[in-house]
Amino acid sequence: MSDATLVRPQAEFLRGVSMRDAGTLIGLVVILAVFGALVPGFFAERNLINILQQSSINACLALGMTLVIISGGIDLSVGPTAALSAVISASMMVAGVPFPLAIAAGFAIGLACGLVNGVLVAHVGLQPFIVTLGTLSTYRALALIYTGGNPVLGLPPGFRAVFNGSLFGLPLAVVIVACVAVVAWVVLKKTPFGEYLLAVGGNEEAAYIAGVPIARTKIAAYMISGLLAALAAQILIGRLGAAEPILGNLWELDAIAAAAIGGASLMGGKGSVVGTILGAVILGAMRNGLTLMNVQSFYQLLATGLIILAAMLIDRVTRGRG
Amino acid sequence: MSPRLQFQGISKLFPAVRALDGVSFSVGAGEIHGLLGENGAGKSTLLRILSGVYRPTAGSVLIDGKPVTLVNPVAARAAGVAMIHQELQQVPRLSVAQNMFLGHPLTRGAIFVARREQERRAAEALAAIDPSIDPAAPLGTLKVAQRQIVEIARALLDRARIVAMDEPTSSLTPSEFERLAQVITGLARDGVAVVYVSHKLDEVFGICRRATIMRDGVVVDSVDLNDLSEKAVVAMMVGRELAQEQHNSHATNKVMLSARGLSSATKVRNVSFDLHRGEVLGIAGLVGSGRTELLRLLAGADRATAGTIAIDGKAARFFSPRDAIAAGVGLVPEERKREGIVPLRSITSNMALASMAVFAPRGLIDHARLKQVAAEKMSRVNLRPFLLDRPIRLFSGGNQQKAIIGRWLAAGTRILLFDEPTRGIDVGAKAEIYHLIEELAAEGHAVVVVSSELPEVIRLADRVLVMRDGTIAAELDRANLSEQAIAAHAIPQTQTPAAQPARQ
Repeated sequence: MSDATLVRPQAEFLRGVSMRDAGTLIGLVVILAVFGALVPGFFAERNLINILQQSSINACLALGMTLVIISGGIDLSVGPTAALSAVISASMMVAGVPFPLAIAAGFAIGLACGLVNGVLVAHVGLQPFIVTLGTLSTYRALALIYTGGNPVLGLPPGFRAVFNGSLFGLPLAVVIVACVAVVAWVVLKKTPFGEYLLAVGGNEEAAYIAGVPIARTKIAAYMISGLLAALAAQILIGRLGAAEPILGNLWELDAIAAAAIGGASLMGGKGSVVGTILGAVILGAMRNGLTLMNVQSFYQLLATGLIILAAMLIDRVTRGRG
Repeated sequence: MSPRLQFQGISKLFPAVRALDGVSFSVGAGEIHGLLGENGAGKSTLLRILSGVYRPTAGSVLIDGKPVTLVNPVAARAAGVAMIHQELQQVPRLSVAQNMFLGHPLTRGAIFVARREQERRAAEALAAIDPSIDPAAPLGTLKVAQRQIVEIARALLDRARIVAMDEPTSSLTPSEFERLAQVITGLARDGVAVVYVSHKLDEVFGICRRATIMRDGVVVDSVDLNDLSEKAVVAMMVGRELAQEQHNSHATNKVMLSARGLSSATKVRNVSFDLHRGEVLGIAGLVGSGRTELLRLLAGADRATAGTIAIDGKAARFFSPRDAIAAGVGLVPEERKREGIVPLRSITSNMALASMAVFAPRGLIDHARLKQVAAEKMSRVNLRPFLLDRPIRLFSGGNQQKAIIGRWLAAGTRILLFDEPTRGIDVGAKAEIYHLIEELAAEGHAVVVVSSELPEVIRLADRVLVMRDGTIAAELDRANLSEQAIAAHAIPQTQTPAAQPARQ
């Protein structure tokens, strides 16, 4: 595509969205500046990389969550999906299955979990909140039953080396999530599927009349969310060297928070990949800074809550008549 | 004696626009006063000021000669102003009585809702206008017309001295309108001042004696409607004379769509007809006669329970609108907000929604091509303002409608189904839509127009099917086309034609 001819309309096309993203970016800059002033060594390269690494899992989940939220739904089951995917691929590895195959199986589990969510929402017509609340318990129970509640230990070093490696001086996990983010951005901005997501979430009835494949679009969103939960699980068990059936507890809340801070509307039809990534980094940076300041975790929770509320208030005030 | 309601030099400034500029006029007690103007003329802003939603930037509202400060809707209500909205603001699951007392329920001891007492008082208020409505029934079970009447009864309960009605009849049948007109006239007889906003000039001429015409936020004139023709009023609203409207036919003999024995689970029963290339086929009938349901079958939005559809002589089965679109059929739905537009998305995105595959032949959307096609189609339909990247919700109804038409042009649709193509669209844009429909027919599209506005059907259609109770009651060609003929076939046998409004 010749970018030169597109500069003007493209700039206009992106204007509405990037205004909101600019706001999220300002929020991130303010938070970084505050911690930079308060915490010595906050801006050290090592620490900045730490922040990215600590944000990467949440960012990965939040990207899938963003797509689901844009479609007008929500996925509360990402944590248990990750846990189920983690324990199954971990136990396959421990049993001697080559790890690429075990990872593929983990991804398949993620996709299957998403497929169940999607079919229940799109074909059966149940409400996304209730469906994924139900599968949240179900998938978690399956992970616990499968492992008898015990962690799967002793993952092969080859597998661990993959996720603990680095590329261009960045942890591989960060690079992987960055790639996922780029793909998600392209999907949302440049593919019919992206337009369909925005249309289905923005006005399902109108999208239907216009011939948008409603069910397929929704199911795909949940499957992507499940797949990214599985990817997050692989990153985590690669780092820890073990898979616990209780991993990923409350992940869904952080993912929703990142998406909402980034400008996704729980009413559907609105959301931004760039914003979600910034939202995840905001949460990560804040936790990192507070930890370095030795602030009790109670206050970290408080800060998370206040950030979400502040972001929503600013949203409300600036967009006003919405 | 001072007038019941008087606007004195009302101005309203919004950050970017001057919505109202020195608006002054008055409405006497017992007067039904029409408020006319195109969309964006400032009628809604003025009503919002009257109902306490907006504060005027300058000027004042006088009731019975005394200036009133309407700081919020509650204050406006206390001052005796009742507002009846176009889109009824009611809670369908609550009962009629609960809705009538919404926001200020009758209580016992300030804690418990006195439900019986509410129902008794609601029944009293309803008895005066429509005793057939049960105050205990859930509001959602009532027809739109009855819900309007509930709103009016609520105004009576509040002992309103001023009732403002914003497009109260946009979804009423002629006989329902007649009923509503009686109720409104009754209100006026009791000394209430009624401000009546409507796009339907024949209605305004029917029930109002005086009217104020607004354009671009200023009052053009307050006129006596007895002295003026509809045409003159339109010219004042639009600021120019609209071209004389004439029907042109481009119909051919080539059948593009043929329906045989179509039935649906809801309304449609055994409907058969042919639609030809270049033809504009009108479908008239009362609201609820199955017109919308028939269009939804043709557009693939609902499934037929019996019957067949053939496109260009080939049998077609539609399981979803996708199938119909692939066969070249597109629906321009009646409820634009609910079924037409994706409000947050741009004009371009809304236009492209039905033809994504065309714009993304290799998986990625070719935005350069999309821009080009959008510019071409939107200039074809004369979008105003010509801002293709602006969210569609910021456009007027007429321009939203143009974008939806553009959607089908971009998708290469050959058979266009319009359901109430000009509902909620102002006079100027209406004429444009008519021309557009005619041009589309001239280019060889086949067009179906469902409309409750008989002048619209007569203006556009080469041939009219009149529906009644889900079946086609009559087929009228242009030679036999008149409002009387349509009405005679549209009305169920149990009702005598005399009970219908005498039109023209």
